[in-house]
Parts: sequence; C-alpha cells; structure tokens
Amino acid sequence: MLSIGSLAFLTPWLLTALVTLPILWWLLRAIPPAPAKRAFPGVRLLLGLTDPERMPERTPWWLLLLRILALALAVLAFANPVLNPRSADLARGPLLVVLDGSWASAPNWQDRLARTADVLDRAGRNGRTVHLHVLSDPLPPEGLSFRDAASWQQRLEGISPNAWSATRGEFATWLTDQDAEFDTVWISDGLATDGDADFMAALAGRGTVTVVQDARATLGMGAPRFEDGKVLASVLRSRSDVAQAPVTVSAIGLDPNGLERKLGEAQAIFEPDALAAEVEFDLPVELRNRITRISIDGLRSAGAVALSDDGLKRRKIGIVAGRASREEQNLISPLHYLRTALEPSADLIEATLGDILNAAPDVVIFADVGTVAGEDRIRLEDWVEKGGLLLRFAGPRLAQSGEGQLQEDPLLPVRLRAGGRSVGGALSWGAPKTLRPFPESSPFFGLSVPEDVAVTSQVMAQPDPNLPERVMAALEDGTPLVTGRAQGTGRVILFHVTANADWSSLPLSGLFVQMLDRLAVSARSFAPDAEDLEGETWVPISVLDGFGTLSDAGLLAGVDGADLVSNPPSALQPPGLYEAGDRQIASNVISAETELAPLQGLPAGFVQEGFDVAEEFSLKPLMLVLAFGLLMLDVLATLFVSGRLTGPRVVAGGTAALLALALTLPQEASAQDSDALAQLATTQTVLAYVQTGDSRTDQISEAGLIGLTLVLNRRTAIEPVAPVAVDLERDELAFFPFLYWPVTELQEIPSEAAYAKLNMYLRNGGMILFDTRDAHLGGTLGSGTPNGRMLQRLAANLDIPPLEPAPEDHVLTRTFYLLQDFPGRYARTPIWVEAAPDIEEVDGMPFRNLNDGVTPVVMGSNDWAAAWAVDADGRAMFPVGRGSNGSRQRELAYRFGVNLIMHVMTGNYKSDQVHVPALLERLGQ
Amino acid sequence: MSKAQADIAHDAIWLRRDAEKVGGALPPLLASAERLAASVAMGGHGRKRAGTGETFWQYRRAMPGDVMTAVDWRRSARSDKLYIREMEWEAAQTVSLWADDALAMDYKSDPSGRSKADRAKLLTLALSVLLVKAGERVALLGTDAAQPRSGETQLRRMAMTLAQEREDRPDYGAPPQERITPGGRAVFFSDFMGPKDEIFDGLARAAEHNVSGVFVQIVDEAEEAFPFDGRVIFESMAGVVQFETQRAKALKEAYLDRLAERRAILQDTARRTGWQCLIHRTSQSPRQALLWLYGAIGGQI
Repeated sequence: MLSIGSLAFLTPWLLTALVTLPILWWLLRAIPPAPAKRAFPGVRLLLGLTDPERMPERTPWWLLLLRILALALAVLAFANPVLNPRSADLARGPLLVVLDGSWASAPNWQDRLARTADVLDRAGRNGRTVHLHVLSDPLPPEGLSFRDAASWQQRLEGISPNAWSATRGEFATWLTDQDAEFDTVWISDGLATDGDADFMAALAGRGTVTVVQDARATLGMGAPRFEDGKVLASVLRSRSDVAQAPVTVSAIGLDPNGLERKLGEAQAIFEPDALAAEVEFDLPVELRNRITRISIDGLRSAGAVALSDDGLKRRKIGIVAGRASREEQNLISPLHYLRTALEPSADLIEATLGDILNAAPDVVIFADVGTVAGEDRIRLEDWVEKGGLLLRFAGPRLAQSGEGQLQEDPLLPVRLRAGGRSVGGALSWGAPKTLRPFPESSPFFGLSVPEDVAVTSQVMAQPDPNLPERVMAALEDGTPLVTGRAQGTGRVILFHVTANADWSSLPLSGLFVQMLDRLAVSARSFAPDAEDLEGETWVPISVLDGFGTLSDAGLLAGVDGADLVSNPPSALQPPGLYEAGDRQIASNVISAETELAPLQGLPAGFVQEGFDVAEEFSLKPLMLVLAFGLLMLDVLATLFVSGRLTGPRVVAGGTAALLALALTLPQEASAQDSDALAQLATTQTVLAYVQTGDSRTDQISEAGLIGLTLVLNRRTAIEPVAPVAVDLERDELAFFPFLYWPVTELQEIPSEAAYAKLNMYLRNGGMILFDTRDAHLGGTLGSGTPNGRMLQRLAANLDIPPLEPAPEDHVLTRTFYLLQDFPGRYARTPIWVEAAPDIEEVDGMPFRNLNDGVTPVVMGSNDWAAAWAVDADGRAMFPVGRGSNGSRQRELAYRFGVNLIMHVMTGNYKSDQVHVPALLERLGQ
Repeated sequence: MSKAQADIAHDAIWLRRDAEKVGGALPPLLASAERLAASVAMGGHGRKRAGTGETFWQYRRAMPGDVMTAVDWRRSARSDKLYIREMEWEAAQTVSLWADDALAMDYKSDPSGRSKADRAKLLTLALSVLLVKAGERVALLGTDAAQPRSGETQLRRMAMTLAQEREDRPDYGAPPQERITPGGRAVFFSDFMGPKDEIFDGLARAAEHNVSGVFVQIVDEAEEAFPFDGRVIFESMAGVVQFETQRAKALKEAYLDRLAERRAILQDTARRTGWQCLIHRTSQSPRQALLWLYGAIGGQI
C-alpha cells in the first residue's frame, strides 16, 4: 500500500503504467483526424479550387490533453485509490477503554458508543485484551480485568450515560492499587472535573493515551429562579471560542388536564465571549406555578433539564385581620409582620373572607380573628376539608371570643382555655418564656432557636389526651406555642401568640420566616443552604437519567438535607425531585455555582481525536466514471475537430441570412431597440403593422406592407423604408402615420396602458386599418364571424367616432387613383370609415363639400395584406382572383393601398374643391 | 416484378395527388397565345385575333370577297352597311417540360426534407395539371410521354413516368437532345450543376427552335450556404467526381462566387434567348414557384 496524505493506493505497482503516457502523447500527436466523406452535388463548382488554409494535421493540444487525462485517470483508478485508509494498528498488549459516561456525554451517546465499538473492534482484530470502564459508574470491585474485546462488545449496548459527572479523581486513586501496564483510549465528555490532573497522570504512567473528545461546546441548563415577577434561568456553555447558534429553551408543565405541555418558550443568545445566556419567561401566576421543568429543546441530556421546585411556586395567601388596621400604626398592625415576611415570596390577598375564598387561595391566615359565623364559616370549613391550610394567630379577640373553649372547633387545632396567660410583664411574676428546641416530630426540627425570642402573652391550650401529638412547638415550660392538626385533607395551625410583636418577639426574629417557610406557607425566595435543611431526610420522588428523562425514583434511599444542597449529584444522590413533608427541592445537575469548563491541560503525549472519523472511501468507481466521461467527451471533440459535428443540418441560420441579403429592401428594423426604432421612424416614413402573436399572420402583414412599400416607392412621392412590427404594449406608436392591424381570433386584448396609447395615437392623427380578413366567409362587418366579434372586442375600448360604410364620394376614392371599390384579396365588401357630417348633396356636384377630417380608422375584411404580399424575390405570395381578372384585382388592391397612404399623408387635400374641375373633367367621359 | 409495378403505380397516385393539391388552388392556366405558331390544334383559349373559334371577337365591315353566309344579319340590320361577325382564333399551345432526374437531383441536406428531384417532379406535374385543365398540350421530354398530348391520359402517363426510376441515371443531367415542338414553350427543371459545356449547349439548342420558356434552377439549402468545415472529401452523388479539401470553411467564399457565376451565365443565356429564369430552393413552398411559373407561362410577368 502506498499512501500520500489521506490517499492511498492498494495496488501501487499499476501506477508504473503512467510511464506509457508520454508515448501515447507522441503516438496521438502523429495521427491527424481522418477526413469526412460527403456527397455533395455542388462538387463540380469546387473543382480546381485550392485550399487557402490548411487544417491542422496534428491533433490539437487540448484534445490530446483530454485523452491523456482520461487514460491517466483510468490507470489511477485501477491502482485502487482509497481515501482515508484505515492505518494498521500495530500496537499489542492490554487496552483500557474509559468512557466518561456523564450527562455531558448523553447528547451524542450513539457516536460515543460507535466509536467505542470501533475501538473494541480493532482491538479484537489485533488480539488485544480490553478492560472497559465508565467513569461515572461505581468502581469495579474485582479490579482491572482485561478480557477478550468481543465480550465487552456485547455489553456495550447496555451502557448508558449517568446523570452526574465522571469521578475521574476516584478512579485515579483506585488505579494506584492496580498493577498493570496498558494503553488507554479515553472517550471524554470534554468537561473539566476536580481530579483531572491526577487522572491524566495516572493514565500517562501506564502507556500511550488516546483522548477522543468532541469539539463542540457542552450546553447546560441552569436552575430557574424567580425575580421581579418573572422566571429567569441561564443557559451555560463550556467554551466561548466556538460559535453557538441561539438555543431554544422551553418551560414545561402540566396543563389543567394533567398532560405535559410547553408553557413558554424563549431564545438564549450567547454573546460572543459569554459563557452564559439568560432566558426569561414572563408568565401569569397560574402558568408559572405549573412549571415542572425547564429544558433546552433538542438536547437529550440531564444537564439540559432544570427541575423546578417550591422556589418557583408562589402561593396565594389570603390574610384576614380581626380589626382594621390604622394606617399610621404600621408597626403594631396585626398584619405588618406577616406582610413583610410573605410579600417577597407569595401573592397576598387582603379582602373580606368571602372574597378571599372566591379567589381559591392556598393558605388563609387569620390574625386575631374571633368568631367566624354564618355562610363564611361553612365555606371555610369546606375549604379546609378539601386541602386548604388555615393558619391562625391568637390575640385578644380570639381569647375573648370563647371559640373552641367548650368543644373542639373544626377551625382550631386544640381546645383553648378561657383567658390566656401573661408572663414577664409589669404586673406578673416570672420572666418571659423562651422556646424549647424543636422535637424531632416537629416540622420545625433542625431550626435553631434564637435566644432572644421571648413570649410574654399567649392563649393556652386545654390539656387533652391528644394534645401532645398536636404540639409543633412549645415554650421552655412545655406550654404549646404552635399547635396543628389535620382536618380532612387540609390543616389547621394555630400560633398561640399574635402575628405582631404585642405578645412575643417571635415575629421580629428570622425564625418567624423560617417557620412559615417550613409550614410551606411561603415559598423560598432564596436557595436553601445546608443549614436550613440540616437534619431533614429528603426522599427522592423522581430522578433524572443521563438523557434527561424523568422517572420514578423507586426505592432509592433518602438523602440528608445538608448533603442535598452542598454536594453535587452523584450515584447516591441522583439529580431529581426530593421531598420532605410538604416541601420539594429539586436537585439539578447544574446548580447556581456550577461552571462548565472545558477539559484542559492534556499532556503533550496524549493523542487527541475527534468523533468525525472519515470513512474509508474507494475512489476507483468515481475515477472510472470520470475517465469514461472524458472518453465520451473525446468522441464529441473528435467529431467536432473533423467537422462532422456541424453537418449540413446546421444551416438554417445561414440560409436565413442569405435570404435577408437577397431582399431588395433593408430588412425589418428591430422593434426591440426602441431608440433605434424611434430614430428610424422619425427620420424616415415607415409603415407599421400590429403584432398579433400569430407568426403566420405577422409574416403576411410584413410581406404585405413590403409589397405596398415597393409600390409606393415606385409610383408615388411617398418613399417608405421597410415596414416594422409594433408591439402595442411596448413600443411608442406616435412615430407611425399608419398602422395595419390584422384581426385574428386568438389575439390578446391589449392592456389598459396600451389602449391609452392607442387612443392618444388616434386623437393625434394616426390611422389604423383594421382588417378582419374574412370576406370570403361572408365577413362584412357586424356579420358575427369570429374575427368580426374579435374586432368588436378590440375596438370596444378604443376612442372611435361613429362609422359609416365609405360613401361613394369619400376622399379615399380619389386621393391618388380614382377608385370605386377597395378590393384586397377579396373584393366587393364595404369598408367602414368615420361618418361624414350631414351635408346636403348638391345636384351636379359629384362630391360633397367635406373639407375636414381624416378618418382615424378604416375597417374592412378584404385581406389587403395578402393581396399586397410579396416574397423576398418580389413575387406575389398569394393568388388573387382568377386569371387576368385576378391581376387586375391585385392592381386595384395596390391602388387602394396607395390611396390609403396618400390619405394618411395628405389628409383631406383631395377633397378640396379646387380640384373639382380637373376631377370632373377626368370623370366626365 | 408485379410488385415493383404496383409500387410505381402507388407512387404515381400519390405524386398526382400532391401535384393536384398544390395546383388546385390556382385558376386554370390560360397561356398567352402571342407566340402560338402554326399549330392548328384547337384549344380552349382565345388568341386575341380573328380566326376559327366559338367566342365572339368583333364585327367588321364586309369586304369584297367575303362570303354571304358570313354576314351577320342582325347587326347589319341596324345600319346600312353589311357586317361580318368574326370569332376569336382559339388554339392549344404545347408546353414541353423537362424534369432532370440525374443522381445529383437526389441530394437533400436535411434527411427529413424533400430532395431536389422530388420538388422538380412535383412542380412538373402540378404545372402539367394546370396546363391540361386549361386545354394545353404537355410533353415530358426525355421520357415515354414526350409526345405532346392533352387530357387526363397524358397526365396519368406523365405521373407514371415521373414516379418510375430510370436505370443507369447519370451523375448530372443535361437538357434533352430531342426536338422541342417549335413555337411552343418549354420549362426545364434542373439544378444546372453539371458540366458547363453540356448544359449550356443543350439550353442554346433548345432556344434555337423558336421556343421560349423558363429555366427553373432547383437548389438545396446546403448548396447555397455551404455549411461544411474541417477535412472533407466531397464527391458527386455517384462518386465519379471527387474533391478533397483541408478546410472546407475556407472554400465557402470561392464556392459561393462560382455558384453566383454559374447563375449569371444561366441568366445571361436566358436573357439572350428570351427565356426566363427562376431559382427555387427546396425549403421554399412549391406554391410560390408554381404561381410564378403560372405567370411566366401566361406571359404576365
């Protein structure tokens, strides 16, 4: 095998045939193309002629090149060229294949598997033993076990990426205990981790290392957070040096029917050097609370999914105070502290109880409300029964109302004793009571109790057999401070103190907010830290796999709250949704602190490869086809060189040119060139005809006008040049004194603009001769032949004066020749001209005194152009009439033409009475 | 053999049909009688002079020597003089036609087009149809139908002759040697590409017999355009004459000059002998040529 760059020849010895090319060159040059034999009657005229120039006897260089190229290609093709040949892997010995197997590997996992399979394949072919390890999986307890590559091949399909990062450091540590020499192939996800340096050093010490990684940036979805009424999230990327197309991010949640839907969509556009891009979802509360996760569209990876938890939920909380607050006394308002604590993280509704219940709140807070009665009570009980949380604060009103003192009230968790107690006041013994640490059964367990929280007054719970289990917090002397119980699916909770600082300093402390938080009254407006969650056990309810698919957590063990927020996701604590009590926390792959950094610091000895491995590609068929194509081209070229390609068939153009030369008149000026046309038409007299689009008709029109032009030149002082065709849509008409317009059935009706031009033309003294050419079909005007109907349609938009059949004394009968009839190819049908004004005929005068007006249109059906038409040799194209009568008729047709053009040119000159005596004399005989 | 006969008959029918189609649109030809000589055969057209015939020509005063039976009494009764009613002299004219059937006439540059011979035959017969309808006598020179006759039989005979392919045809045709009916008219269809001496001798001889007529040179487009290039060996249709050129394109000018020269001689010959000349290309409509011929034979152009 001979290889040049990425090209290799499998049969290189065949390349020696290239040596023959110069010989071929010499041979081909010496043989001129053979002459063509042609039968040709005109050969006698050629006899005796000598060749003024000689055909090159040798093959032209380009033809030679073509042939040599074709042959060279064929030789190269048979030498079996291959692009990107698989280089033989000569290495032997055990091979360690490590895959990162992290969430970042998930998007192109199939590529990775394929690449791994390829590595295993080659190792198998070379007889190498292999150990395969996924770095995010637990370490193998039995140590490195190098086995046959095929056995790993079978396991490969079962490997899937994990939702957490690769633990390279651990592996490196573990590797120090293993005693083996091996080469390594590391299929990396391209992200940096903590133990990278150790890992790479550990591998480098054992043998050669090949790193396979993707050049593309890894994308990650940051956790959503709530700010200024909007949900914000950031998309991270691992490298800013490669361009990144805008990323579409979707907010997904359940619709009212419980189906997953896309609730919102946003575009993340990365600034050139930024590693993160913000997206923003501005959604109404109802939709926002339903968001379960935010994910990057089209990217299957756990890192592309950010689960949302309570942090996004904003509860609707109704607050009812026992008495209306007075504006100027904010700090003693029963609601001030509640408002301050809840406002950042919840939507508060302050209204009457009835209105609040109409708004379907999640929580209703009573601050010192005594008796609730009537319909409100029934509705409130019903609401709690169905899952509402009623949170009550005590106060003077509650204490006085006597609620729940005689029997258990469904709206109070415990029975209250009449009156309350007051400690540490000016008139009482004892110091204000502080709080006892929260018991393990309490939802507040784990919260630290500040020492400065003191209670001076409270309402007292009636001692009861089931009181202890309802106590959620107690004072140091054991009196309950917070009690609660389930009521139906809802809960009723009572703080035995006021919601303001009257009875205790609790509302002044941070504990107040934390307690509300634990009661799931308020959503967190900040990320919980380890301290907040200390001591709680969070149970996973659903977890993400490496591809970002959410599934049921099954029997996974719970996680300590502190670990949950401080440790990154791992095998023991997979990313997903965790629950404790009523609260939920999402553990996401990408947390607020996460930065995606590309893998760096690879030692120089590492071989780096990408995933896009070029396939082995045989060039042989391509080159053979190319060579064959060139040979086909050579056939054409040879024919061309020997003159066989341009046979006598390709003569139409030549003959046409010859015919044009034979024409006595300068042939048709091209109407396309409007400037040239204008120049011609304004410096010479030109007859024009309207193009109908029917080539035969146009040809006859032109031939007819040529005939008429010849006659005019011969007999009169009007000396027109060759007629031109006029396109009504395009050409300027003003230059032409006369238009011949043959009417065909299939003609297109001109556009509005064209009609405007035509009307302008007629008003300014132009004349149009309409010819329906169907007198032989009985086509007198108005007789309803197809052409006649067409003429009616054409003329409908024209500004034409009233018409009449040309009267016997019309000036057309005497402008040059004295005529009685106006025959064309057909005779004896009347022509129509502008109606003369009604003037009395004077006895004895052959003509009326009509001095004005040149008729703008002449309409007839006699097919004048055909009668006038002559071919290139000046011979009549169409027979007219029969025998000598026909000749006479043709002559009269010409005379009509002459008269018509004279009429156009001289107007009513001949109707001037000055000529009457002379005319009378000629007519007199 | 019988099959060949049948083929010929078939061809003849089609040729006749085509010819009538082309000629059908023209009025019957009334050939001018100007040069009608001593031929006495009665024809269907007047000679614009008094003679034997059926059409009234003129009344003239009776002269001494006129027979009494010739006096037209009805006219004479209107005056004191005697008048004689004269008839127009009507006689048929003989038109001799020659359609060159040499191999050179078989040439056609466009395989789907008509050869020159086809066109010559068509025009010959179309003209004959017109002439026979007008009562003239036609003769097809150099064939079995060389005897001037009139009528359908003659047309049929001509059509058969034209459809038949003569054996041992020459490379180039020359005007027939046989005697043309003196005083008649002649129409020669050929490409006039043969050796100069043969052609023009023949033409001169034809003109000698007090015969006037028309030369119709039928040419193919390729013969006028000379669209050849490269190394070419030109040969005549039978391959008798050969000419090799290294670069055909370069010879175009010279060839066209020679063609023009040949035409000039043709036209010169025609002018000197009172003949007319028409150049007809196979790409043109045959009707144009026929129309012109009709005019030429009728003496109207």
